[in-house]
Amino acid sequence: MSIKFKNVHKSFGNKKVLKGITMQVQKGEILFVIGTSGVGKSVTIKHIIGLLKPTSGSIEVDGKKVEHLKEKQFIPIRKKVAMVFQSSSLFDSLNVLANIALPLEKHKIVPGDKIQDKAMQLLTEVGMEKYASVFPSEIGDGMKKRVAIARALAMQPDYILFDEPTTGLDPVSARRVDKLILRLAKDRGTGTIVVSHDLPSIFGISDKIAMVYQGKIYFEGSREEYQLSKDPIIQQFIKGTSSGPMETPGF
Amino acid sequence: MISSFFASIGEKFLVLSNILGGITYLFYQITVALIPPKFDLDEFWRNLYKMGVKSVPIIILTAFFTGGIMVIQASVFVKKFGATSLVGWGAGYSVFREVGPILLGLMFSGRVGSNNTAELATMVVTEQIDGLKALAIDPFRYLIVPRVLAMIIMLFLLTIIGTVVAIFGAALFGKFIAGVSYAGFWTSFSQNLHLADLIHGLIKAAIFGFIVSLNSCYFGISVKGGAVGVGKAVNNSVVASALGIVIFDYILTYNIT
Repeated sequence: MSIKFKNVHKSFGNKKVLKGITMQVQKGEILFVIGTSGVGKSVTIKHIIGLLKPTSGSIEVDGKKVEHLKEKQFIPIRKKVAMVFQSSSLFDSLNVLANIALPLEKHKIVPGDKIQDKAMQLLTEVGMEKYASVFPSEIGDGMKKRVAIARALAMQPDYILFDEPTTGLDPVSARRVDKLILRLAKDRGTGTIVVSHDLPSIFGISDKIAMVYQGKIYFEGSREEYQLSKDPIIQQFIKGTSSGPMETPGF
Repeated sequence: MISSFFASIGEKFLVLSNILGGITYLFYQITVALIPPKFDLDEFWRNLYKMGVKSVPIIILTAFFTGGIMVIQASVFVKKFGATSLVGWGAGYSVFREVGPILLGLMFSGRVGSNNTAELATMVVTEQIDGLKALAIDPFRYLIVPRVLAMIIMLFLLTIIGTVVAIFGAALFGKFIAGVSYAGFWTSFSQNLHLADLIHGLIKAAIFGFIVSLNSCYFGISVKGGAVGVGKAVNNSVVASALGIVIFDYILTYNIT
């Protein structure tokens, strides 16, 4: 039970973003995909649920190759692998409770008369039960992330993808989101991929780290191995210094 | 200089081809989704209300004064030639066949089509469409098909309401501006107009509804960029719908007698 990338390449026109990504995450494991901004971390995870198609290479979800699936064929994969977007992507026209209820209703995950109760239970799980009737535009970014997490949980997924869940949040809210991700992964046994460049998150809750650099996986291993690495590029990323061997897109 | 001129024409031709191809493909996808019909009924009802019921006041206001304007313009000649027996026919004929469907179609495009494009485009740039996909919900059957159907049905129904109100407005203004009695107006109206005149306008209304829905959905979902892209999409949608309405009005008027 795992998600595997094998030599995945992705180009947009002439621009090669991914140049051979190979990595995997097991169920129950938290993998952090890290790297500088614009390096292709979000692009990488969007391939898993078919929001992007690789130029070459293969991606497997629990042994099923997904790179050539058509839009309709992705439905079972998307039910198994939920995603929390960087922008939270909550539906503006629906209140918080209706956002959670939508997948429950459309996929008949629970009987019709239990939908509201289940949605409220999920909101309670992320500490947002008091905001059930408000609209996404009326709450802060940290709260939106928590609602988006509750909505992803409504799918009862085997895996959850988080795209920069703590970016833009204050340190306290960021650590609370980390704690929530950790609790969900451990309590529910979901496989978790977190795209991030937030060092306290990375060193706080990751089981494994995959560092993307120049379109490839530059490092894959435990957080202890990563922290102890003497590699100058890894050390520069950890220290966050502007001078050093690391090349960053746009600079 | 000459090569850049031809390059510019070629570029515009490619952009136009891309748009026409995109709209045609959207039409194909809608047709496929409707055989057999598989779309979100809750969204369909919600859009019927939002796009149709909420448009009733503005349609009534527009139609009432449109009917009035028809009579005001005609009143000069009516008084000059004493042609009061033609006012009901003249107002009814033009409202049923041309002014009603065109003006209401343009008003519908401005109120509903532009709003639809802005909403869909914003959903694209804020990743809400990707969010729907990630929840294994088909955005096409959930968002697009219900909106297209709702727009066609509601412009058709609004045109019926608008036509009745416009005739009422014409009779009222005819009485007070041209001095045509209600009985005289009704006689002229009922003796010279036929059901075919009303059907002519309603066929146009349904086709205009389809044009507005197709354009507004296409430009919404094909948006590129952020806020600037949303603005451009709305602008393109309204312009394309207005052009589509006028061009198809010509084709339909020419072919449906």
